[in-house]
Amino acid sequence: MLTMLPQSAKRPAAASPFSCLFGAPTSALQSANFQPHSPAPCPRPPCLATSRHFAMPIAPKPNSALLIVGHGSTQNPDSSTPYFEHADEIRSRRLFAEVHCCFWKEEPSMREAVYLIDRDEIYVVPDFISEGYFTQEVIPRELQLSGPTSVVGGKTFHYCLPVGVHPSMTGLILRRARQVAPDADPAATTLIITGHGTGFNQNSTKAIRDQVALIAASDAGYAAVLDAFMEEQPFIADWDKLSPTPNVVVVPFFISDGLHSYQDIPVLLGIETEVGPAASQREVFRHNPHTLRGKSLYYSSAIGTERLIADVILDQVHDFDLTHKAST
Amino acid sequence: MSNSEKLRHALASGIHRIGEIEIQTLASNAGFKLRHAADMTGGGGAAGAVLTIHTGPAAARDIASYAEDGSYRFLKAQCNLRRGWVMLLGSVADLRLALDQFYPACVGLWLAQRAGDLEVEHLRGKLQRQSGMYHRVRALSDAALQSMVPRICSPAIPCARRLLWQIDADTPLQPSAASRCSGIAEGIAADEAIPLLCREACNHFVAECLAAAKAAAAPQAD
Repeated sequence: MLTMLPQSAKRPAAASPFSCLFGAPTSALQSANFQPHSPAPCPRPPCLATSRHFAMPIAPKPNSALLIVGHGSTQNPDSSTPYFEHADEIRSRRLFAEVHCCFWKEEPSMREAVYLIDRDEIYVVPDFISEGYFTQEVIPRELQLSGPTSVVGGKTFHYCLPVGVHPSMTGLILRRARQVAPDADPAATTLIITGHGTGFNQNSTKAIRDQVALIAASDAGYAAVLDAFMEEQPFIADWDKLSPTPNVVVVPFFISDGLHSYQDIPVLLGIETEVGPAASQREVFRHNPHTLRGKSLYYSSAIGTERLIADVILDQVHDFDLTHKAST
Repeated sequence: MSNSEKLRHALASGIHRIGEIEIQTLASNAGFKLRHAADMTGGGGAAGAVLTIHTGPAAARDIASYAEDGSYRFLKAQCNLRRGWVMLLGSVADLRLALDQFYPACVGLWLAQRAGDLEVEHLRGKLQRQSGMYHRVRALSDAALQSMVPRICSPAIPCARRLLWQIDADTPLQPSAASRCSGIAEGIAADEAIPLLCREACNHFVAECLAAAKAAAAPQAD
């Protein structure tokens, strides 16, 4: 088996400009005071072969509201679908008195969200794939948050970490990889986790590199586990050169199947020759495997479209309570 | 009293319209019925066709997201809500869920306004707090902003909310169809409708401001 050093092992972690204000860890994976609530912490990277999802049951919060914050789009109607599905899933479990969504690009806006909510205690979970500009600057600004817990207009807001940095995302990635390539032997397969990549905020790529490190060091069995990006090295367009195996599984680390995951990246992979309409989504994902550049390429829908992200949202609420409310 | 209870009282007092939607309170505590107001009279469009019955609020998002021609309604107060449906809702909680999909937060905004709790953010304040690539919108002049409002906030297309904000506290919007929009459909009395309120410029407006700022800064072509 070919073992490759995870890209993230070579790169320094970026500092969070917001971490001092919030006292929150830049990443759940590197925080000393962040206690993942998976059962029995592993002394080494977790055993992922079973792809067990480590969701813990959350105690009902009948006097609290949950506010899921998403990006949204004025161009793509599919962009906000996962957020509403995550809200529907959690609402169906009757754990919170209210479950609402709000957005940066769609309605309701974050500033309007408070008018949706009756309850005075609100858990805010960014349904974002990583920490970065939106979770550290835009959301706190728009919701007028000043720390992990803020009282604004008589309501108490608890600001949780974004879903993408939670350790339980690892199980979802492996679950998605196996779903898209059920017959591909991991020993002959490279798993690539891909994202946008940008120099604007290094944290936007860190969550991906953390996941790569976890999976590469686990017993998931993939011949190689790599990170690759649209606009940053290593480039996803070079997927075939990066991958030493005949099979390649690519999982987009985005919340929604927006413009990047089913329009831009398929072109970079060579699946499509030009950026197509949003309606091409199903075709892109249904034609697996794609025989391209001498390899079998399996392309997944965005990780955020996994309905079990609802569990990760609840995990972040649970972890917030452990970290910030345990002593109260 | 919760917003749901306030809504129930409002409906009992004669409120029956929000945007393009007629709200009917069913007898014997049987819940509520929503439908496009234009489907009540049977004139034109989808009228005459069999209305699709939806039980529960689940279909509201889909109905609200796409116009009859399939276009994406990213602003939900556009006056092109799809017709041809009836939605039956068994509780006021489900009614709120549905209305918050059709007209996001508009029930809560109206209830807050009635209670004197609605905070309005004027446009200059909204633009001043933008960051990242959007910081450029701060440089737009009042004149440029005034010219954008009638174009972007037209009550016909795309948005029929009542603008509560001004350029700043001392600078009202210049009179236009946008600034005069009541947030209530024509022919409906003010005490019969929940008005669609705009407490601050939306991010679509901010995005248009960014485009205008970029255009203003671009070199002029010969």
